[in-house]
Amino acid sequence: MRGTTVITGADGYLGRQLAAALLADGDDDLVLAVRADDSAELAAKKDRLAQRLGPQARSRTRVVAADLSRDDALADIDTRSVTRIVHAAAVTRFNVERDLAQRVNVDGTARLRAFAARCDNLQRLAMLSTLYAAGRRRGDVHEERLDDVGFVNHYEWSKWAAEEEVLGAAGELPVSVLRLPTLVADDDGGQVTQYNAFHNTLKLFYYGLLSLLPGDGATPLSLATASFTASAVTRLLDPAIADGVYHICPDPADTATLDQLVDTAFTVFERDPGFQRRGLMRPLPCDQESFEDLLSAADLLRGGPINQSLSSVSPFAHQLYLPKTFRNDALRAAWPGYTAPDPLALAETTCLRLIESKWGRRTQETP
Amino acid sequence: MTDVFVDSFVYSLGERKIHVNETAAAGGLISSAQDLESAGFRWHHVCEPTTSAYDLASAVTRRLADSDRLGDVDAIVYATCLPLNGNAGDAAEWEATKDVKHLMDFPASRLQADFGLHKAVVIGLNQQACTAMLGSVRLAQAMLQVEKDWNRVLCVTADRFPEGAKYEQAYNLISDGAAACVVSRQPGAFRLVTAHQITNGGLGQAGDDETVGSYFSYTHRLVRETLERAGLTAADLDWVVTQNTNDKAWQILARLLGVGFEKVFFSSMPDVGHVISADNVVNLAELLATGRVRPGQRIALIMAGFGLNWQCLILEATEAVAAAAARD
Repeated sequence: MRGTTVITGADGYLGRQLAAALLADGDDDLVLAVRADDSAELAAKKDRLAQRLGPQARSRTRVVAADLSRDDALADIDTRSVTRIVHAAAVTRFNVERDLAQRVNVDGTARLRAFAARCDNLQRLAMLSTLYAAGRRRGDVHEERLDDVGFVNHYEWSKWAAEEEVLGAAGELPVSVLRLPTLVADDDGGQVTQYNAFHNTLKLFYYGLLSLLPGDGATPLSLATASFTASAVTRLLDPAIADGVYHICPDPADTATLDQLVDTAFTVFERDPGFQRRGLMRPLPCDQESFEDLLSAADLLRGGPINQSLSSVSPFAHQLYLPKTFRNDALRAAWPGYTAPDPLALAETTCLRLIESKWGRRTQETP
Repeated sequence: MTDVFVDSFVYSLGERKIHVNETAAAGGLISSAQDLESAGFRWHHVCEPTTSAYDLASAVTRRLADSDRLGDVDAIVYATCLPLNGNAGDAAEWEATKDVKHLMDFPASRLQADFGLHKAVVIGLNQQACTAMLGSVRLAQAMLQVEKDWNRVLCVTADRFPEGAKYEQAYNLISDGAAACVVSRQPGAFRLVTAHQITNGGLGQAGDDETVGSYFSYTHRLVRETLERAGLTAADLDWVVTQNTNDKAWQILARLLGVGFEKVFFSSMPDVGHVISADNVVNLAELLATGRVRPGQRIALIMAGFGLNWQCLILEATEAVAAAAARD
């Protein structure tokens, strides 16, 4: 039956990818909820989305303004028609301030949950979260509701708290929490549209601005493409698939470690003539105390490139000292035969594209 | 291989001792005074307008001469960080005449003449930046190995920043200053165990952030390779005498190298800032003055500089170290 899927944050990086995937793979109408302060901003966002989604979107999409920091955020949407909701709106910077994270990520999710409760025909409320809602825990992380064990930044905390908002309604609403990995490229070709701590760290290494490597080299890092992630989310929106918590990530056995990824990146860098000429060395692994000292020293560097880049990297870097393995048994059961990108091949192609594009624009965003 | 000894560490600083706040208020810095203070800098020394780099070199040589430590020198290695300090000529004369001989008024030659070191040949060293003092000791050692008739080499480094220059480089508060020591076949306070240098010309035009960015990996490599050359390990070092730079830097490096931070010595930093290529000598002189250096102890002197260059010496204290400490 044709339904209506609401996507919040539809003009964000992943929101756009999801909208495109749902247009291509289903027949639902889409309500694309975007944040807009006025009609001019809304019109501009409508134009951009129309360009990105193509002519096929015209008859099946409606773009609405929705600021989830306001109680009447989704008042323009007819709740009777809504069958699925994907909550992609969030502040996704690792260095987000606590107040902003509370207001947007936590309170915004609570408002969305209240909206979902008014949708009588709702078949799925899917909240996009992060694997790092696991916070400071080490070892195996299962696809289940998590206790608060502390967090290394406000972003992680806010996504965990937002999960709590959604999972607290699990008996009343068909809710799923989809924990996402670090998105390093649009697709297997390595093209990068959205830059985050992964890219900014590599940038520091490539340009010789950082010669210390924070973290335990054996720490697994779940990387994926936006394309893979959008496919997984699309799959998990199917009402026939059980609701619950899912880790959208490669199998543990197919997850690269920090050491492997750094080795791959430098193998690519070292083939670049400009990098060769500068004779930059591979970074030295350092303990957490040393990394903290580095951050403290970098605070004094006049807001130069080291300071700026480290400020986006450091809130995540603490996770590199907390090795954890994200189990994805539920995902595998729900999506037999799925194929996640090979992490080292993905890292290699991504690094090549980063060098070609000189790291593109400087937007900093996390999964 | 003939043993070579290093002794008679002296230094001289610009006459005006100025607080970082005062220099910042006068527009003489790039960073804020607060940031430099947080990095461990407080005071620095600036030459009077009429004082030249050569005057500083002459002052340290005078100290050696007056204390009978200059001796019969076979060579002078005269090192400067800034190449312009390798010319003592009058810039106005050059501008007026366009005669390049005014660009070749070599301070090493002046030093030889002014101190009557007529036997000494002179060698200028001006492309090793802040590492040049350590480079001059290395060069002196090499020359003593091949020049069988030579016994004694005077190593001098002297720099002052030109009038109007910012007294900050790569986030370090700069002092004008000079240093000297004598490298000799005759036993002295320290036996030179080994010397090592790395140059990465690919970073020759590195900006401040790239210079800082490469500091840890290259300094770590420098020390590791120097220890390997000497057949030593980090545990064999009793002291690490560093350049004066952000005080966090060596807390990090000490951990990376496996050297206890209590062995790392850069006590002069708050009082003198980064005295260009004289830092190691200033700090070593202060370490000797504490009386804590014992015969048999090994000291690594470590410096990074533009170019980019990294240099390290390992010295081993002899029985003469106590006398040197009392004398210097």
